[in-house]
Amino acid sequence: MNTNIVDLISVTREVSWLSWGVQYFFLIGLSYGAFFMTLPAFVFGRKNMEKTGRLALLIAITCGIAAPVALVSDLHQPGRFYNFYLHFTPTSWMSWGSFFLPAYVVLLLIYAWLIYRPDLELQASNRSGMLARVSALLALGGSESPKAIKVLGYMTMFSAILVATYTGSEMAVVRARPLLNGPMMPLLYLLTGVCGAAGLGLLLNRIIADASESVSDNLNRVLVVFLGLTILTVLFWMLTGLASQSASGMVLMRLATEYNPFLFTLLWLALCTLLPFLLIINKQYKTWWLSGFLSVAGAWLFRWSMFIDGQRIPKTGAGFNDYSIPLGTEGLLGIAGTLGLWLLLVIMITSFIPWQGSKQDTSV
Amino acid sequence: MEESRRKFFKGIAVAAGTTALASTARVSAATKRPMGDASHRWGMVVDLRKCIGCQACTVACHMENDVPIGKFRTIVSNYEIKIGNKTRSVVLPRLCNHCEDPPCIPVCPVKATYQRDDGMVVVDNSRCVGCAYCVQACPYDARFINPETNTADKCTFCVHRVEAGLLPACVETCVGGARMFGDLKDPQSQVSKLIAKFPTEGLRPEMKTRPQVYYIGLDDRFNSKVEGTPSLWKREEALGEEVES
Repeated sequence: MNTNIVDLISVTREVSWLSWGVQYFFLIGLSYGAFFMTLPAFVFGRKNMEKTGRLALLIAITCGIAAPVALVSDLHQPGRFYNFYLHFTPTSWMSWGSFFLPAYVVLLLIYAWLIYRPDLELQASNRSGMLARVSALLALGGSESPKAIKVLGYMTMFSAILVATYTGSEMAVVRARPLLNGPMMPLLYLLTGVCGAAGLGLLLNRIIADASESVSDNLNRVLVVFLGLTILTVLFWMLTGLASQSASGMVLMRLATEYNPFLFTLLWLALCTLLPFLLIINKQYKTWWLSGFLSVAGAWLFRWSMFIDGQRIPKTGAGFNDYSIPLGTEGLLGIAGTLGLWLLLVIMITSFIPWQGSKQDTSV
Repeated sequence: MEESRRKFFKGIAVAAGTTALASTARVSAATKRPMGDASHRWGMVVDLRKCIGCQACTVACHMENDVPIGKFRTIVSNYEIKIGNKTRSVVLPRLCNHCEDPPCIPVCPVKATYQRDDGMVVVDNSRCVGCAYCVQACPYDARFINPETNTADKCTFCVHRVEAGLLPACVETCVGGARMFGDLKDPQSQVSKLIAKFPTEGLRPEMKTRPQVYYIGLDDRFNSKVEGTPSLWKREEALGEEVES
């Protein structure tokens, strides 16, 4: 800190990308992260990965449906969202995103529907009443369609890559925010998104599924790789930043050591990234709840750190602006609301859709 | 019979089409954006040797543009600097720089923010979705979300006054005559003459935005992010309950 200059009067802008934005980036990251984990089972034909794939699919669709709600809510004029479609702007990543995101969600839902169809048909024949009728209607004959699933899988994969690219690039191009401005942003969103999805899978496998060891093993394998890559990427960002004195690397170092070391370094990097990595690499599988929770929290904290703390770094003035999370719709309520919506979607899907496959339905 | 029915439907189709086209044309004529006169390029020169940091410009801007309390389209940053054993005050009026390459425009996902032919960067707040992407992209912290309109807000160079032949409110009210406004395309304008006569600098040259607010007497320590001791008080504390209400 330069004590020869004292900032007496300056403008401090409030955070204008709100907690809804953090929730959107968190949920969509978990969604595409989980979707990628469905590919081995349903597109690449790895039958031993089916259980993992089905759990991942549940995460992908629940987070994928909740995410756009959070995104629209982050607009200060949400009722004008139609302007995105009336005034396409090719120079804006956000404008591209307004097309990529619905394409991804729609393709993901069709992909999920094709996977659930035979199970819906089975549910229709095993159950009675309204659920059977709705299941029969949704099943549309219920035939297996592996080729269509494959095609839809590739199409959804393409759209998921576009969503991952746009969400990261949207921030990476903002030169006025050196913390966000760099190629590391899209990569870290992708890596932490997969970590969060795998962590959530670890939790849901025990809480709402049958606590399968093979699913846990698969998710732990994904976690260890992606947590490891996250740590390496951040270290690479820090070291190259220091070596080249790049604006992005230097501001990251200041975030980690000066602006908010508690949140970034201690909570995110040490507790929510390094600790689960060490737990899993040392085969501490009994602490699945800890590794799972910390990985999900890590995906969220990384986004909070980039989004909210990134906006707390003044562009023209000195220091690090104060921020306390508001209790209303501009803060805590946004977080609680989107998580509540996600929970509702999980309850609805697990209650009415045979998401675990035919085994689930016959066991009922 | 068949022939006349066909003619009847054809007539209806033509009439409907014509009406739709006419109404579309009317709507687009009514919503056509004011683009200004391309023969001008409006800009500002701030002579820091004359600025006394009185904030009259800040107040005038608030009064003229009905800026919500706690928000600013312009402000005079004030610093205390130490040179040896002496301290002195440094003032720096800040506002939108109406850049030649404005980074706020390409990011806007709905083309709500645009540059007029006369160089002024403005926001169509009837289209703005309030995504705040432009707020992030502006390197000068010149933009904010107006809590009353829930859209992006910023200095417009008082476009409504300029179009009526008046000066921007901040220029009109400037006590020391530090702010000067005019046509940069006109070599005889006061601003052009000042730029020709004195060395001038724009803020944050590293951002390559080609700002059109020129400063005379700008200390190098202040043309980019000012790394000093942060403000001694918080905005909310300084403004009290007015901000919260």
